[in-house]
Order: sequence, then C-alpha cells, then structure tokens
Amino acid sequence: MFDLRLSPEQLEIRDTVRDFVAREVKPVALKPERLEPFAKPLLAAQLDQASKLGLRTLALTEAGGGAGADNLTCCIVTEELAVGDPDIAAVFAHTAALGRRLERAMTPAQRERFLPQFVRDDAFHLALAEREPGGGTALGVNYHRPATIQPVTRTTAVRSGGDWVINGAKTAVANAPIAKMFVVQAGVGTLLVPRDAPGLCLRGQDGHWFHGSCGEVTFEDCRVPADNLLGAGIEADGRGSAELQALNLGIGRAAYEAALDYAQLRVQGGRPIVEHQAIGAKLAGIAIRLEVARAAIWRAAWASDHPEAVADRSLPDLPLQTIARVYTAEAMLEVAKDAAECFGAMGVMRDLPMQKYVHDARVCLHSGDGSADATLRLAEALAGYRRPAKTGT
Amino acid sequence: MDFSLTDEQREWQMKARKFAREEIRPISLARDAIEDPAATFDWDIIRKGSRLGFRTMAVPREWGGHGTDFVTQALVMTELARADSAISKAFSQCWKWSHLIAASCTEEQKGRFLKPFLADDTFVLGKGISEHSAGSDNRLPPADDPKAGLKLRAERRGDEWILNGEKAFIANGNIGKLFFIDARTDPNAPLKQGTTMFLVPRDTPGFRAGKVYNKSGWRFYQNGEMIFENARVPHANVVGEVNGAVRKSGGAGGDTTGGDLFGDLELAANALGICDDACEVALQHARGAKQGGRALFEQQLIQLKLNRMHMLTEALRSFVMRVAWEHDRKIHSPNPGLAMNFSTDVVQEVAELYMDVRGGAGCAMDAHADKLARDSIIWSHLAGDTVQRLKVAGRLGK
Repeated sequence: MFDLRLSPEQLEIRDTVRDFVAREVKPVALKPERLEPFAKPLLAAQLDQASKLGLRTLALTEAGGGAGADNLTCCIVTEELAVGDPDIAAVFAHTAALGRRLERAMTPAQRERFLPQFVRDDAFHLALAEREPGGGTALGVNYHRPATIQPVTRTTAVRSGGDWVINGAKTAVANAPIAKMFVVQAGVGTLLVPRDAPGLCLRGQDGHWFHGSCGEVTFEDCRVPADNLLGAGIEADGRGSAELQALNLGIGRAAYEAALDYAQLRVQGGRPIVEHQAIGAKLAGIAIRLEVARAAIWRAAWASDHPEAVADRSLPDLPLQTIARVYTAEAMLEVAKDAAECFGAMGVMRDLPMQKYVHDARVCLHSGDGSADATLRLAEALAGYRRPAKTGT
Repeated sequence: MDFSLTDEQREWQMKARKFAREEIRPISLARDAIEDPAATFDWDIIRKGSRLGFRTMAVPREWGGHGTDFVTQALVMTELARADSAISKAFSQCWKWSHLIAASCTEEQKGRFLKPFLADDTFVLGKGISEHSAGSDNRLPPADDPKAGLKLRAERRGDEWILNGEKAFIANGNIGKLFFIDARTDPNAPLKQGTTMFLVPRDTPGFRAGKVYNKSGWRFYQNGEMIFENARVPHANVVGEVNGAVRKSGGAGGDTTGGDLFGDLELAANALGICDDACEVALQHARGAKQGGRALFEQQLIQLKLNRMHMLTEALRSFVMRVAWEHDRKIHSPNPGLAMNFSTDVVQEVAELYMDVRGGAGCAMDAHADKLARDSIIWSHLAGDTVQRLKVAGRLGK
C-alpha cells in the first residue's frame, strides 16, 4: 500500500493556515521596512492570532489540550506559515515540537501542573536550552573517528532543600527572548525553568543569522522547585522531525509564487515573460525542486510518525530527515536566486521581497551545524558507523 | 604565446593593489553596513583614487589621460575589486564612458567635456538607458514589437532638444556630473532606428535626480532615478547622428572601444577581484581556524572546496586576460560577452563556497562572507541574466 492522500483534517488545517497567512500575515510581513536584513520585532499580533488558531499547541495530545497533530501535519503547517513569514513559522515550529516532547517526558503530576497554563496562554512559548558556549558539535575533523561529538553539558543543577540550584550558560537558544518556560539540559537531567525564576538572565543573540528569535541564557544560582525535574529525558522525536526543512521549503515557495505572478504580468520582448522559453524553463526548474523537496520532507515526517515502517521494510533505514535537510537547503537557495532573477533589477532591492527570500534561504543553508556536517552524518549512517558512546571530556 | 606583463602594466597593478589594501579595504565593510543607500558613497576615496589616476586612466594620452591599455584596465579593476567590488565599479564606470567619449564624440565635444572631467577629482560619469518598463527590451529589442524599449522622449525645438520621461537604476544618477542619455527621437521607429544619444550635464534645466535604489549588494555603488521634465539639451550635445544611438554604444558594430563591450570585460574583471578576495581569505581561515584542536584545512571537504574556488578563479582569470588582450588587438569575438556570463556563474559559486568554508558560527555569519555573497548576486541582475546570455548567443548566431 502506498498512499499519499492527506486526511480531511490535514487538508482543513492547511487551508486554514494558508488563508490566515494570505489575510493576516503577508500584508504586514511584506511591508518594506520588514524586508531589510536588520533585526526586527516579531509580529506580535500575528503570533497571538496564530496561537488562537491552535498552532502553538498543535502537537499536544487531545488529552493534553492540543490537536494531537502528527509530524507530517506540523510540517504542512510550518510550510504554510513560512510562506508568509519564516520568523512566525520558526517560533511556532519550536514551541509546538517542544510541547509534544515535553508532554511525553513529563510525569502525570507535571502534566497536570504545567499543561493547562501552557494551553491557556496564547503568549506561552517554549525554548529548549541545550547548546553551550564553545560546545560545538560539528562532525568535521571527527568524521568516522571515535572522538565524542556529543555536546558537552557544563551546566549543573544541585539539590538544595526543596529546590534545584542551576548554574551555567546556554547559547543559540531558539525562542529565548519570548519563551515563558525554558527546558534546560543540566548535569542531573532536564529541568523546567520559568522565565521569571530568580537567577535566570536573558540576552538577545548577536547577529541575525537565524529565523524567529534567539538568545543566550545564563543561570546564576537559579532556583526551581525540586519537582521541576522532568520524569524522563527529553528525547528527540523518533527519527527526527522535519519542521525546519518545511520552513525552508516555505521560503522557496514564497519566492516561487512571487516569481510566477510577476512572470505573467511583466511584459518584455513583446509578451509576458513567462511566455519566453528561458523564463518558463526557470520556473519549471523551480517547481521541480519544490516538489522534490516536499516529497523528501513529507517522507521524513511520515517516517517519524511511523517508526515501525523501517522494521516492516517499507522505508530504508536511513536518516531521512538529514537527507531532506541537505537537499532542501541547497535547492531552496537555488530556487530563491532563480526566482529573484525573474525580477531583473527589482530582484536585489531591499524594499522588495525577493532579496529577502535569498537571504532567508541562505540562513537555512548555513544555520545550525551546516549542510557539510549533515552530509557527513549521513555518510557515517550509510556505512553503519556507530560512534562509541562516552560522555564528553 | 606570452603571459608576462610589461613593466608599465605591472606598475599599475601594484599601485592598485597598494591603494586597495591601504585605502579601500579599511572602509569597505563600514560603507556596506550603512542603512541609507544614498549615504554609502564616499567622495574621499574617489578623490584619493582620482589623484592616483584611477578615475581617468582610460582617457587617451592626447587628451591628457593615462591612455592605459585594456590589459592594464583589467588588472586594475581586479585589484580594486579585491578590496571592494562596488568601489572598483565606481571608478571603472568612469572609464566605460570615457571610452565612449573618445570613440564617439566630436573634437568639439571632447574639448567641452573631457577637459572638465580630467580637471575635477569629483567629476564622475553615467549613462541612462534603463527605464522601469524597459530593461531587457533595450538589450534585446523584440523584432515583433517595434515600440518596445525605452520611452524617454526627445523632441527638437530649434537648436535644442526637449527631453521628457524617467530613467531607472542609473549608475551614478544622483552624483554624476555628466550623463549619456538615450532618448527616443522617432517614436514610430524601432529602438535601433529611433534612438539618439545626448550628452546631458548635471545642471541641465529640467533635469533632476530621483531616489537612490536600496540594493542588497554593491551598496557603495549608487544607482538612481533620473527625472526629465522639459529638460533642455543643446543640439550640439547630440552624440553621433540623430537616431544613431545604439550603433554608437558599440553594441551593433562590434567596436571594442565603445562602452558596452568594455562593460563586458569590466564585469568579468571585477568578478575576478571578488574571487581573489574570497580565495585568499578562505585559505587563511582554513589554515587558522581550529575545529576540535585541528586546522580546518585538514578536512577533505574543506580542501575540495578550496580547490574548486581556486580552479574557477584561475579559469576566470585566463578568460578575462584573454578578452583584455583581444580588445587591445581590436579582435572582435563573442568572447567578452561569454566571459561576462561565465563570471556570473564563477563569482556566485566562489562566494557560496567561501561562505561554506567560513561556516555559520552559532547565530552569526561572517560579515565579509555575507557581503561577498550579496555583491555576487548583483551579477545575475546586471551581467548574467538570461537576456545577456541570449544577447551573446545572438552574436554567435550571426
């Protein structure tokens, strides 16, 4: 059985989000001052509206107050949001995915204490604080070598009476500037740290080579109650979820849609430029890359939703999310550049969107540990290489 | 077959390298970061470069210029672009149009315009062709749509021409002191038969500059709107013949000294400068930066990227220098256009590879790598866009 049909619920939410993006997000996100490559405030009203549509709690179970959406549905939603604004898409992708992981890792008592306030508050976002300064995990020199590439955790949590006392620093924490709850990897395990916990200090991240919002968090004798220690580790989602690839895809689609519209309006050479072979072929090449990327992303998401599919030989035992990541990041930069070229000189103007799509696609290609690292991870997986587990030194 | 440079060529190259390293490089990133597109320009660097001859080096010796050959010009553009592509272009833009003055203007016009150009360190030149609804149509006029192309109108009234209309994206449009303006003098004829070129000084009554375009790359380089409202230009400022503009640009006749064909070499040589810059810094970075206590350079993937960057760059250098050599021998071929098209592919791939080698460190990207990537994109929108490739193919098909 090979079935690519979306469920009625998936189709409905895709239409809902697409409509929301067209009506509420694009008119604001495409204002010239938001297209320049400078730090800009998140669109607060649209974040609130998107939460009211249920996108923040999308991936929680229905019992937990969410929609019980699977990875594929989350990817569909993220792509649609990113067509309008990659920053909104990033914020929701992080909160929704982390919500699901948290729900799984919590004890029933923690769920009861935490989930209702999370579900109720439209401004309640989540941030995972795992990366530490200088704790790069790049594979690079360690390709196919036993050296550990596990991120080193120096942040400590020490029991003091009824509290955990946390000390340490985290960097490149997505959603940090807006999060109401931090999920913090410390020596003892994973802790829930509310934004207003005493001793927690926030700083916005320098540079703007990321989507959404990002910051550094430090903990100086930061105290949280003892039962904020999660019952289980915060496991990555199955074989890796592909929301950030869906975000990348949304950027490419936005560029494509703009170019396709323009190519039918702009007349040079006596006819709309889409009627010239050179432009027609460029748009066709863009459409091919978008479809191939979406197929890879959806397959990775579906694999994550169906972990049994490898055992039953429906899917290859490959890191499909890594494959989607490498292909999508490279293909979407090509897509954005080709789409911008259809606009001639207007393709490089900062008060117009095409140059922003190119920049946004570059950010995806070069953020995180980079495509080269992902490629090496894939190569290790192909050869069946297993890195000996040991803790960092 | 001899690839060596003459002493004079070598001297210009070294002078440009020194100026680029000592004067241009230190201001490059700061000028690029200025948010207001009209404030990125810096007259100080133009004055300094002008005093060294970098503004006027293409003017023939008999008119008081340096009379450098095309090989020298290619070398200098590359060296200047190695420190800042947009600043290099700001200088070479003046050569482009001084070639056109030398090739197409009468002795009387040369006397009127070349002398003040040579005497004034802040005298820069421009040429207005593009309009909002006429970009590709000017480069490749469609046979089946004779009205296509630029619309700016010029009408004869006694000894004057009255110009009405707008130009868009014009280099130096807001800061130039003298412009070549292509205007439609026969609205019923196709572009090539109905366009005339005029010399339009900045203080022409009825002419004013509009906005400066806010580009993502080449931020130092000024591109502006030009607005003509009953602008009055003396008949004595017609370049060549009425309705003969396109021929005079060097576009149709294959005249290598005209502005357009120099422009092909110019963009290819400038791209080479970006590539040299990227190769040099990428190699430095790969040797200096450590990952897990070992130099990045030890990794095969890094070495393969450095190999490809250098391979493409050296291939481009060979092409650029061959085209310059052909120009100096007045050899007509499609090579200038092909070199320009090739330079688009090369500069973009090399800039991407450079960004790869620098990598994203957490949430930041190296500002220099970001600038080179943005600058390199400009080629798609000027030099290597599909229309330019088709135009070059047209030369092949003749």
